[in-house]
Amino acid sequence: MATKIALAGNPNCGKTTLFNDLTGSDQYVGNWPGVTVEKKDGLLSGRKDVVIQDLPGIYSLSPYSLEEVVARNYLVSEKPDAILNIVDGSNLERNLYLTTQLLELGLPMVVAVNMVDVMRRNGDTLDIARLEKALGCPVIEISALKGEGTKEAALLAIGEVAKKRMSERPHVFTGSVEHALAHIEESLHGKVENATSRWAAIKVFERDTKAVEMLKVPTDIVAHVEEHIKDCEKEMDDDAESIITTQRYAYIQKIVGETFKKSPRKASLTLSDKIDKVVTHRILALPIFILSLCVMWWLAVADGGPGTILTDWANDGFLGGEGWHLPFTTHECTADGAYKGMEFEDAQDEFAKQDASKSKWEEAYLEKVNEGKPDGEKVEKMPEKIDEAIAKTIVAKGVFVEDEETGEPKTKECDCEKCTKKREAGEDCEGCGCGCGEPEMWDVDYAAYQKAAEYEEPDPSQFGVWVPGIGALISSAMEKMGVNETVASLVNDGAWGGVATVLGFVPVICVVFLFLAFLEDCGYMARVAFIMDRLFRKFGLSGKSFIPMIVGKGCGVPAVMAARTIESERDRRMTIILATFIPCGAKTVIIAMFAAIFFRDMWYVAPLMDVVGIAIIVLGGIALKKSKAFSGEAAPFVMELPAYHMPTFGGIFRHTWNRVKAYMLKAGMIIFPACVFLWFIMHFDWGFNLLADEEIEKSMLHDMGSWIAWLFAPLGFGTWQGAAASVSAEIAKEQATATLGLVAANMDGASTAAHVSNLFASMSDFPKLAALSFMLFNLFVPPCMVAIAVTFREMGSKAWGWFAVGFQLLVGYMLALSAYQLGMLFAGGGFGIWTAIAIVVDLWCLWMVVRPAKCKM
Amino acid sequence: MSNGSIVVLVVIGTLAALAVWRNLRKGAPCSCGCSDEECCEGCCGHAKKDS
Repeated sequence: MATKIALAGNPNCGKTTLFNDLTGSDQYVGNWPGVTVEKKDGLLSGRKDVVIQDLPGIYSLSPYSLEEVVARNYLVSEKPDAILNIVDGSNLERNLYLTTQLLELGLPMVVAVNMVDVMRRNGDTLDIARLEKALGCPVIEISALKGEGTKEAALLAIGEVAKKRMSERPHVFTGSVEHALAHIEESLHGKVENATSRWAAIKVFERDTKAVEMLKVPTDIVAHVEEHIKDCEKEMDDDAESIITTQRYAYIQKIVGETFKKSPRKASLTLSDKIDKVVTHRILALPIFILSLCVMWWLAVADGGPGTILTDWANDGFLGGEGWHLPFTTHECTADGAYKGMEFEDAQDEFAKQDASKSKWEEAYLEKVNEGKPDGEKVEKMPEKIDEAIAKTIVAKGVFVEDEETGEPKTKECDCEKCTKKREAGEDCEGCGCGCGEPEMWDVDYAAYQKAAEYEEPDPSQFGVWVPGIGALISSAMEKMGVNETVASLVNDGAWGGVATVLGFVPVICVVFLFLAFLEDCGYMARVAFIMDRLFRKFGLSGKSFIPMIVGKGCGVPAVMAARTIESERDRRMTIILATFIPCGAKTVIIAMFAAIFFRDMWYVAPLMDVVGIAIIVLGGIALKKSKAFSGEAAPFVMELPAYHMPTFGGIFRHTWNRVKAYMLKAGMIIFPACVFLWFIMHFDWGFNLLADEEIEKSMLHDMGSWIAWLFAPLGFGTWQGAAASVSAEIAKEQATATLGLVAANMDGASTAAHVSNLFASMSDFPKLAALSFMLFNLFVPPCMVAIAVTFREMGSKAWGWFAVGFQLLVGYMLALSAYQLGMLFAGGGFGIWTAIAIVVDLWCLWMVVRPAKCKM
Repeated sequence: MSNGSIVVLVVIGTLAALAVWRNLRKGAPCSCGCSDEECCEGCCGHAKKDS
C-alpha cells in the first residue's frame, strides 16, 4: 500500500507550490489564501509508492469554513502516514500555532520551514537544531518556489513513517492545564484511539462540540470532565478556549525567541509599502484597478493591439483564410505581368478592382443583349464569342468594394480644405457638395473590360514565402480526394469551421491570461480583493466574496468552488450566485468576437463588460442582502497581502499555458462534436433528407431555433440563428461564437466576421445594438452547463440551485432587454410596448436596490 | 458518393464519436477543460478528489 504524506499548513504558505514541485503537477497556485479547497493527490516524482496529498490551508484544527473541515476531517479521521507541515518562515509565530496542534495528533511529522530564501534575504536566521528539540520532530529548511530542500523534506517524512516514530509532544501548557488534560485523557482511555487521545482531550477541554461529535466522545464523559475544566477556568480566570490559545502563543513566543533571530529592519517603508500607498489609496485604488482592466482589454482586443493583430492572423491566415506570408520574407512582385513591382495587398486591391470592372461590364453586356427578349430566351451567361458591335457601345460603371467584410464600396474623399478639416476633426463630410462619401465609380468600356479579363488572381508565392492556412489545406485535400460538396461543407463549415472560430481567439485568451497571471503573481490581485472589500463592505458584503470572483476570471467552476472559504452559509450562497457574473475565459471569446466585428472603434466596450460584471455583483448583492434569506452582517475578511515581487517567466508561462491548454482541449472535446451535431441538424430536415444551402429553412435547427426565437425578439436577435447560438452557448460559452459562424455561413461576405456582421444586420435595423444585447445576454445569463451543475452541488439543494439559475437568467435577460430597447429609443427606433416594459423593469431593479431593508443588513 | 467522401465522413464521425464517448465516460471536462486525472484549475467536481 502506498505511503500517504499530507501537506498541511496555513493558507498561502506554499503547500501547492511544494506539491507541484514534489509531484511534477501543475495544480493552480494563487497568491491569496483559499486557492485549494479540496484534497489533491499526486505521486512523488520517481516514487510510485508515495502519495503526496495537498490539503486546503488551515490556521488551526478548529475549523470554521468548509475547506478547513475538509483538512481537519482528513487529518483526524482518515489519518495520513505522515504529515509534512509547511511553515512560512517569514511568519513563524502565526504558523507554529497550527504546528503545535498537528503535533498533538500523534502522527509522524516533519516541519518544513518554507521561504528560507526570503528569510536569508532579510538577514534572519533560524536555529534548526533548537527548533527541532523544542517541537520534538525533524525540522528542515526549504524553498518550495526554487525547489530547494523539497525532496529532502519528503524523504525525511518517508523516513519518519519507516521509523514509525510519533512526534514527541512538546510541553505547551502549564501545570494546572496539564493536570486537567491528564484527567480528561484518562477518562477518554479506551473511548478514542490512543494516538489521538491528547488532541481529543484538548478539544474536550476547549468544549469544541464539532470535534467531540466527530470523535464520538460519550456525553457522560463530557459531563464528568466538566468539573475539571471549570476548576481550571476558575484558577486561570479565563474561559477554556482562551486558556489554550493564550498558552499556545506563550509557548510559541518562547521557542521563537530562542530559535529565531530577526535582523533589524530599517524604519523606512519597504518598496511594497510604497506601492501599496498608491494602489490601495482610498480614492485612487478603484480607478487604478479599472485602468489595469482597460490596459488588459486594450492589449487583447483594441484595433492595432497585439491580441487583435494575432487574432486577425489566426482567423484570416493561419486557421481560416487562404494562408499567410512568413514575416520578413515579403517583397514586391518580381515576376513579369500586371502585378510587377506591387506589394501583395496592392495587387489584391488591383485584382479586386479589375474583377469589379469585369463583372459590372458583363452585367451591362448581358442586359443589352437581353433587351426586349422574352424571359425564356434571355442569355444568362457570357457567351464565348462576344458581339463586338454591341460590346463597343457599352460603358459600364465599375464599383470597387473596399471593405469585403462589410461589403461597403470605397467612397470618395476630396482634398478641399473644408472637407480635410472636417475629417481631421473626426466629423463626417458627407453631403458637402464635393461628392465626398459617395461610392467611388469609374467607366468601364470594352477595352477596359478586355484588359480586366486578362487579370488573374495574384499568386501569393510571388510576394514572399507563402504558408497555406489550415482551412485552405483541408479544402485542397478534400478537392484532391474528390469529396462531394456536402461532405466538404460538413468539414469546412461544421467541424473545422466551428473549431477554427474558437481557436482563432487563442491569441486574445493568451493576452488576457498573461496579463492576469502577471497581476496575480506580482501580488496585485491580492490588493484587488482588499480594495473590493472596502467597496463591498459599504453595501454589507464581504471582500471574501471577491476572491471567488477573481478566480472566476479564469473559469466559473473553480469560482463557485472557491466560495467554500466563506464561513457564513448565506454569504456563501450569495457568492455562488454572483461569482459567475465576472466574464470567464470562455466569455472572453464572445467579447473578443463582438469587439472585433462590431466595436472596433469603441475600445472601451470590452473592459466595460468586466465593469458591468462587477456592478451587477455589487447591485445584485445589495438587492439580495435586503431579503430575509441573505440578510446579516458581512463576514470579517482577514487576508495577508504578500510583498510585491517580480513574477518569474516560468510561473507566468505555466499559469497561462494551463488555461490556454484547457481552452484548446475544450475546442476539441466539446466544440468539435457540438459543431458536427449542429451542422447535421442544420443540413437535414425532420425526415432526415439532406437539404441544399437554400433549403436551410426546412432544417431541424431552423425549426428548433424558431420555436424559441420569439423569446429573444424583444432583445433584438429573435431569429432562429440568434436563438440557436444563445441556447448552444450553454454547452460551453464559446460555442456561441462557433454556432454564429456556422449559422451565418450562408450570409454574404468573404469571412466569418462579414457573415456575422450581415447576420445581425438581417436581424435588426440596429445591428450594433442587437450585437450588444446578444453579448450582454450570453455573458450574464447562467454560465455553461458544467458550472450550473457545480452550482447545484455547492448550493446543497435543488431549490437553491434553481434560485441561482433563475436569478442569473433574470439578470441576463433584463440587462439585454434594457440595452436594446433603451438603446433603440435613443437611436431613434421609436417607443413601443417593449420599451415601456424595459423602463418598468429598470425601475423595479432600482427599487430592489434602494428599498429599505426588511431585515438588518 | 465518392470514396474520398466516405473516408472523410468516417474520420469525422469517428473523431466526434470518440470525443462524445470520452466526455460521457469520464464526465465532460469542466469549464477549465481539465481531465479527471489532474485538474488544471484545482477545481474539478467530477474528479476522484473527495471532500
